[in-house]
Amino acid sequence: MTTLALSEAGETVVASTFSRAMQRAGEALASMSGQAIVVKTPMLRRCSAADVVAMAGGPEAVVAAVYVGVKGSLQGHALLLLSPTDAHRLAQILLTGLLGPGESPAGAPSDPLIFDELELSAVQEAGNVTISAFLNELGMHLHEPVQPTPPQIVIEMAGAILDGVLMDLMSTVDQVLAARTTFTEGGREIDGTLLVLPRPDSLPVLLDALGAIGI
Amino acid sequence: MTATVTPTLLVASIGEMVFSSSPDSSLVAYGLGSCVALAAWDPSSRVGGLAHFMLPSGPSNGSGPVKFIDGGLDNFLKALEARGAASSRIILKAAGAASMLAIGGGLAIGTRNAEMMQAGLAERGLRLTAGALGGTAGRTVQLEVGDGRFIVKSLSTITEL
Repeated sequence: MTTLALSEAGETVVASTFSRAMQRAGEALASMSGQAIVVKTPMLRRCSAADVVAMAGGPEAVVAAVYVGVKGSLQGHALLLLSPTDAHRLAQILLTGLLGPGESPAGAPSDPLIFDELELSAVQEAGNVTISAFLNELGMHLHEPVQPTPPQIVIEMAGAILDGVLMDLMSTVDQVLAARTTFTEGGREIDGTLLVLPRPDSLPVLLDALGAIGI
Repeated sequence: MTATVTPTLLVASIGEMVFSSSPDSSLVAYGLGSCVALAAWDPSSRVGGLAHFMLPSGPSNGSGPVKFIDGGLDNFLKALEARGAASSRIILKAAGAASMLAIGGGLAIGTRNAEMMQAGLAERGLRLTAGALGGTAGRTVQLEVGDGRFIVKSLSTITEL
């Protein structure tokens, strides 16, 4: 059984880097949406599978999730999670900017779980831009690019979405390192959660690049 | 005088199993994606159990009792028998094994979980009497210990197996 070889001091170094990367992610989302985005202080911790699901709102919480896999020297998973209502709001902000003068976006649907293709595409792109900004910042610290997979969007129970991610991470470990932050767009009260889960077997690469090994 | 009975809800998180012989109990596994929940109910002893399996196979040291299907099935069945259920009588139902995201290559983990569950039960001379396995929808499952009903809920449907 592999264990996470990460000291408290090492964890602080990783947390600091992740914090900067999450700040970049928030700036990217702010730039794309044209709205002021507040990035709350990120949290980095070792988690059980149940802890990770709790960080996403709990197993039955329905979320709109944009998933991006992480390839390259650092491997893992990243997700931007929004409540369905907030995903509609974000789509509305993005699409309003794309519509011509005098045009209105579609009204709120009677069922918040129903998204049209344009909305899904807008939210997926917002997630892609946000996560890519995070990965670009991380890649600068690693001195080589971290490659994102094409984004996928799914509206489902958080536990169900995270199952596949956790299975990929936890075949040989019982705990994973998880980083989480929350974005708040004050004017329209949109809360989003960015969840980043590096693969345990690629953590040494990250720690080495950050100088966090042996401290 | 009326006695008030409070129903008990026991939750099986990932890699956990729960049991009860109380007729007012419900055993629940929330938000299943690729994971598989296996429900067992003995109509004679009225003992019920629910296991929330995560992966088809893996090392057993340091993990939860039912994190892996290959090693966890025996843990689950032994624990059921210790509570008075007989393997020859138990009714087995399962749900989960969905494929939600395309992660990595090869066979989807949900599919591998479903196959391992069917094969593992067959090796022990057991089989599912009902199942909701595969697809792309998340599921929450609930076993009613009082009567053995197995309820599967997704975002759009509620089905009793």
